[in-house]
Amino acid sequence: MFFHIVLERNMQLHPRHFGPHLRDKLVAKLMKDVEGTCSGRHGFVVAITGVDNIGKGLIRDGTGFVTFPVKYQCVVFRPFKGEILEAVVTMVNKMGFFAEAGPVQIFVSNHLIPDDMEFQAGDVPNYTTSDGSVKIQKESEVRLKIIGTRVDATEIFCIGTIKDDFLGVINDPGASS
Amino acid sequence: MESFNRLVKLAARAFYDDVTTKGDNQPKTGRSDNRGMAVVVLDALTRRQWVREEDLAKDLKLHSKQLRRTLRYFEEEKLVTRDHRKETAKGARIFSAAVAATGDGQSSGKDGEEKLKLHTHSYCCLDYAQANEIFDVVRYRLHRMRKKLKDELENRNTVQEYVCPNCNRRYTAFDALQLISPDDESFRCESCRAELVAESDKRAAEEMGDNDDNARRRRREKLKDMLQKMEEQRDEMGCREWKVEEEEKEMDLKSDLSWGRMQVQLKPLTDLLNRVKDLPVPEFGSLQAWEARANAAGRATNGDPSANDSSRSSQGQGYGGTPMPFLGETKVEVALSGVPVKDEDSKPDVSATTMKVLPPWMIKQGMNLTMEQRGEVKQELKTESGSTANQHDDKKSKVNDKDDGKSIQASQKKHLCDEYLKAYYAALLQRQQDQEEAAKRNQQESANTDNMSSEMPRQVGMKSKREDDDRDDGVEWEEAPTGNADKTYKMHDLNIEAEPEASGEDEDDIDWEEGGAIEVSSIYSYDLYFKDMARSKTGVSRQEVYGKSSRTEKATGTSDTRGGRKLQIVLYRKQKQKATEKKVARARSLRGDGVQDEASQVH
Repeated sequence: MFFHIVLERNMQLHPRHFGPHLRDKLVAKLMKDVEGTCSGRHGFVVAITGVDNIGKGLIRDGTGFVTFPVKYQCVVFRPFKGEILEAVVTMVNKMGFFAEAGPVQIFVSNHLIPDDMEFQAGDVPNYTTSDGSVKIQKESEVRLKIIGTRVDATEIFCIGTIKDDFLGVINDPGASS
Repeated sequence: MESFNRLVKLAARAFYDDVTTKGDNQPKTGRSDNRGMAVVVLDALTRRQWVREEDLAKDLKLHSKQLRRTLRYFEEEKLVTRDHRKETAKGARIFSAAVAATGDGQSSGKDGEEKLKLHTHSYCCLDYAQANEIFDVVRYRLHRMRKKLKDELENRNTVQEYVCPNCNRRYTAFDALQLISPDDESFRCESCRAELVAESDKRAAEEMGDNDDNARRRRREKLKDMLQKMEEQRDEMGCREWKVEEEEKEMDLKSDLSWGRMQVQLKPLTDLLNRVKDLPVPEFGSLQAWEARANAAGRATNGDPSANDSSRSSQGQGYGGTPMPFLGETKVEVALSGVPVKDEDSKPDVSATTMKVLPPWMIKQGMNLTMEQRGEVKQELKTESGSTANQHDDKKSKVNDKDDGKSIQASQKKHLCDEYLKAYYAALLQRQQDQEEAAKRNQQESANTDNMSSEMPRQVGMKSKREDDDRDDGVEWEEAPTGNADKTYKMHDLNIEAEPEASGEDEDDIDWEEGGAIEVSSIYSYDLYFKDMARSKTGVSRQEVYGKSSRTEKATGTSDTRGGRKLQIVLYRKQKQKATEKKVARARSLRGDGVQDEASQVH
């Protein structure tokens, strides 16, 4: 789920950036540092939408670096248990398949795949129904439900299922090609 | 309506039995443990419509605060609608009138005399109507329950676990990203590089061996407990066919027996839900609408004295809401007559055995379709009576021995009574014996009646009566004096019936029935026929019948056959002809007391 929240961060700026574009430099560095990171608490920071407030800088003794407390607005993405996501399949093996929903990696193990889908090994490993109408392979888009998340300090990993109503393949590149 | 009430009751017991409305932080002492209150409140509400909460509290002997807490809980559960309004005593009186109109008069109390102050009164009502709430609530609850259990039992939403066959190191699917080996895309143990095995494949083996695993097991145990609990609840709810259905269900249970069991346990409820689904929803409407309607109906019923029995069907017959099926009421009737069914059947049997060889309906004796049975019996009797005068006389002399009233007959009657009792207590095994005895008695009686040849014409006349209802009265009345005289003698002889002669009215009839300790058993069956008959007839003709029955037993015999003829119709009419029944209802309720007394005596 996406959230628009205000976060705060202490930015350390090299003294060489001190000058008329100090603020711009600071914001650029903030974006570079923060976007795409993941915190267990807030999830993935997707984008910074604005900087609210930059506090007074504090010059560090010895190094000359200046620390600015910065308040900024950002969009974060955090997966939750029970959430329905659409994801792209990245890897299929006999244990299940991996998929990605933006920055989040999701693993769907084979017992959370409907019973009528069988693993087909081969050049393009895939899960296929007995009548061949539905196929899950690399690059397939699936809708899945998250049934578990593992949140580390810098990482979020999810386990999903497609064994429920309205879940499964929503766009099958193998079928269209 | 009955179904809905039953639904509520079942749901209350299934889901709200151990609900306590106390907060969790409060210490649970024995005194403040109010589990079960929810059930009581819901039950009480099934017997009411809109009711003021204070009145309800008074009726239930609950503190109003306690009740309000429970009701608020139910409101959140969408089982109950509540309405709050500021009102004066006048408003309260309007409500009281409405309550009285629907026959819940006992709860009206003295609200009318309240001070002329503005009070906030709260009313509550079971929420049948609004979007069919209770129905949906229960259904949704069942659905959630079922889904949850199913998911659990199918391990649907559990995180897959993997175990290394070499070092027994365990992994979960959360570790998948680290476990995946770059070369062959299988999961490899981090320490020994052996290929991991999904744990579900191993569970059987592991369940026998080491039990150091834990969370899952505990979970399953909890699940089992839960199921157990549900099971108990089902048992409480009187699910008898449990075993049989379980066997059926075993076919389609998927991963665990308990799942099937759960299905079975819920079957009564789901059945009920299915039934209720098609029924019209009893709509009480909003409080205001209900009051208005109830008052209007109350006025109407006051105008029509014959219809003011709305107390009998307090669930809203009186006030033209949606038509409601009266399953409950009829059921009660059936149950009432269900007890005497046996001796009822056995008695016609006896009388029939005097006539000829037993027809096949004998076999059906133990069964419950008493109406049809009786109908058949009666018809047979009738045809017999039509066949030969002699047989007819025999029967009548037996049935109407009181009317004959000779000393010989008195002894006969004793004999008969004995026989009745015997027939009542003995089951089918003694049927043969009865038959023999009956045959013997038959001869004896025929001899008797032959002796009393003077009575013959009268009895033949009776036969014609039997066939013709209209002529009935005239003949009857003429006969009455002699019959009475005879009867008085006999009564005193036997010390049985106290005041059969004074039998102009129903009340006398009842007294008479109660008076006769031995006679009761015989009269009893006829009495029931009367009841049925009365239902099929108008009030006037019923009066006739009762009058006759009390006057002469000949009359009972007559109406007996007629009752048989009508019984089929009665069965049919009972369901759709409520209007007639209503008229009769009052008298019947009077009679009902008598019947019950008799039943107790007989037994």
